[in-house]
Amino acid sequence: MLAYFIRRVFYLVPVLLVLTMVVFTFVEMLPGNIIDTLVGTEGVNDPEVRKILEKEYGLDQPVYVRYVKWLGRAVQFDFGKSLVTRRPVAVELLQGIPATMYLAIVGISLSMLIAVPLGTIAAVKRNTPIDYAAQVTSLIGISIPEFWFAILCVLFFALYLGWLPSSGFVSPFVDFWGSLKFLILPAAAIGFRQAAYTTRLTRSSMLDEMNKEYVDTARSLGLAERKVIFKYTLRNAMIPTITISGLQLANLLGGTVVLETIFAWPGIGRAIYEAIIQRDYPLIQAGVLVLGVIVVSMNLLVDMTYRLLNPRVKFA
Amino acid sequence: MTELPASKLAVFADLPALPGRRKRLVAGVSRAWYELRKSRTAFIGFWMLVVLFSACIATPWIATHDPIKQSYRERLAPPSEKHFLGTDRMGRDIYSRLLWGGRRLVTIALLAVTFGLSLGIPYGVLSGYFGGKVDTVAMRVVDGLLAFPGLLLYLLIVTLAREWKLEGIYNDLILVFALGFAFTPEVARLSRGTTLAEKQKEYVEASRAIGDGSFSIALKQILPNIISPLIVNATVRLGYVILIIAALSFLGLGTPPPTPDWGSDLSAARDYMETAPLIAAFPGIAICYTVLAFNLFGDGLRDILDPRLAER
Repeated sequence: MLAYFIRRVFYLVPVLLVLTMVVFTFVEMLPGNIIDTLVGTEGVNDPEVRKILEKEYGLDQPVYVRYVKWLGRAVQFDFGKSLVTRRPVAVELLQGIPATMYLAIVGISLSMLIAVPLGTIAAVKRNTPIDYAAQVTSLIGISIPEFWFAILCVLFFALYLGWLPSSGFVSPFVDFWGSLKFLILPAAAIGFRQAAYTTRLTRSSMLDEMNKEYVDTARSLGLAERKVIFKYTLRNAMIPTITISGLQLANLLGGTVVLETIFAWPGIGRAIYEAIIQRDYPLIQAGVLVLGVIVVSMNLLVDMTYRLLNPRVKFA
Repeated sequence: MTELPASKLAVFADLPALPGRRKRLVAGVSRAWYELRKSRTAFIGFWMLVVLFSACIATPWIATHDPIKQSYRERLAPPSEKHFLGTDRMGRDIYSRLLWGGRRLVTIALLAVTFGLSLGIPYGVLSGYFGGKVDTVAMRVVDGLLAFPGLLLYLLIVTLAREWKLEGIYNDLILVFALGFAFTPEVARLSRGTTLAEKQKEYVEASRAIGDGSFSIALKQILPNIISPLIVNATVRLGYVILIIAALSFLGLGTPPPTPDWGSDLSAARDYMETAPLIAAFPGIAICYTVLAFNLFGDGLRDILDPRLAER
């Protein structure tokens, strides 16, 4: 177990190295250089200033030296300053992480609350109208673009009914109930969409499990069907569901860019989006790197949890 | 392809010769049609796709207006005989914009998935066929690529495309490249897995006995036999790719206006949501329809090609 974990962490090293290279190359491949952008925003075009800035940003050195230096600083969470706010990039990004995690965790929990019962019922009542309804709904759910679904939610609940604010954010530590009002729509938009995947998965893994022999054994021992389903079958069927939900969570932490933008949610995704719009390259660079690291390590965590939940999987 | 049982093959034993190429084609198509009718999802998806592709191909003839021609006198017009789906904020005909936008979107998606397949299949098949150290290294690379968060990669590439001021076809090609490249590791892993199972079979041994080279066996003999799970995967991926393209252009990172584009049209329509909600509805419905068509067809195909799953 420990050996496996260490090996997996070891495998992450090349992935992370490639990630840093991609992110570094990205800025290198931009036309012009960072100084142009800086000078552009400051409104000075003095060769002296350029020289000083070039020195400050280390642009007078060759690429590989800059990469190694940049990497050395990145490991210490020093990503330089934002070109727009002139504050350290790390601070800008770290501010967004709690909001993104809050949204992603609530969204995924919501999706599991919907999907697990729905998928189970669909599997138990296979080929009945309930099953078909669940299947059709989830198929439509995975086909709807999330931004469109979000817009429809805003249109209906915020503009038409006026029940909820259309966008914004209040920290739950400041005003818990007030923050819920802002959370409902984005979390629901995430929750329903992810639930569409999870429902399909829960249904098919329930069907898989229900065909296994231990279920017949449990039934032949005279256990109530309810007990067979909830105590034995569902427990085993949950393994893939939990795994996939974990992976979804990992992806959401790195991929709620669209929803955060629509709902003006001050998360890391929107920070990156705004950085792209405002051409704030250090922030884009660091943001993608941080998100990449989060996603990759979450994936590892999920994989390890999966192996703990399911001892049949060998640590090969 | 499922193999025919021996009892059915025996029927062919006393036939004089193999039927001609054309006859075989007809038989193949009618068999495919028969299989297709068995799965309701595939059947519905198939017809939805037929409608979609017909619309894409026929766009130049069925579009009624120039998709980028503005007409300020007819801004935000409701659906009418002249404008089937009304007009947008610049008086452009929504029906024509949807058609042209769809044609572009579907083309990009098809090219991207084809690109991913054409990189991933040879990679996976050869890696699986040769096995050993080659395989280990090749699959490590795939694992690394799979761990890469896709959306971030698209964001970076799309930003680069914007900064290079790429326009029109080049912008689309970048998208094809990024989406196709991101699909490659998945294809490689899938085709490697099936190749591993396939290379144990007797026909592979037979062609080796005849003296065929490794490359020829891997690509000419094994490849056709592993194609069906790949087709399913590619079909579902098409829906996903369309969602990604739409999301990127919704964020304003796709093709710049005035090019008709479902995602950016939807985004622009947000400002008029209260007064003219229909404008936001049409591109959304179009995206849903397209993605649903691919998903239905892919789901159905999976049931047909893998009867073990169809029992579910």
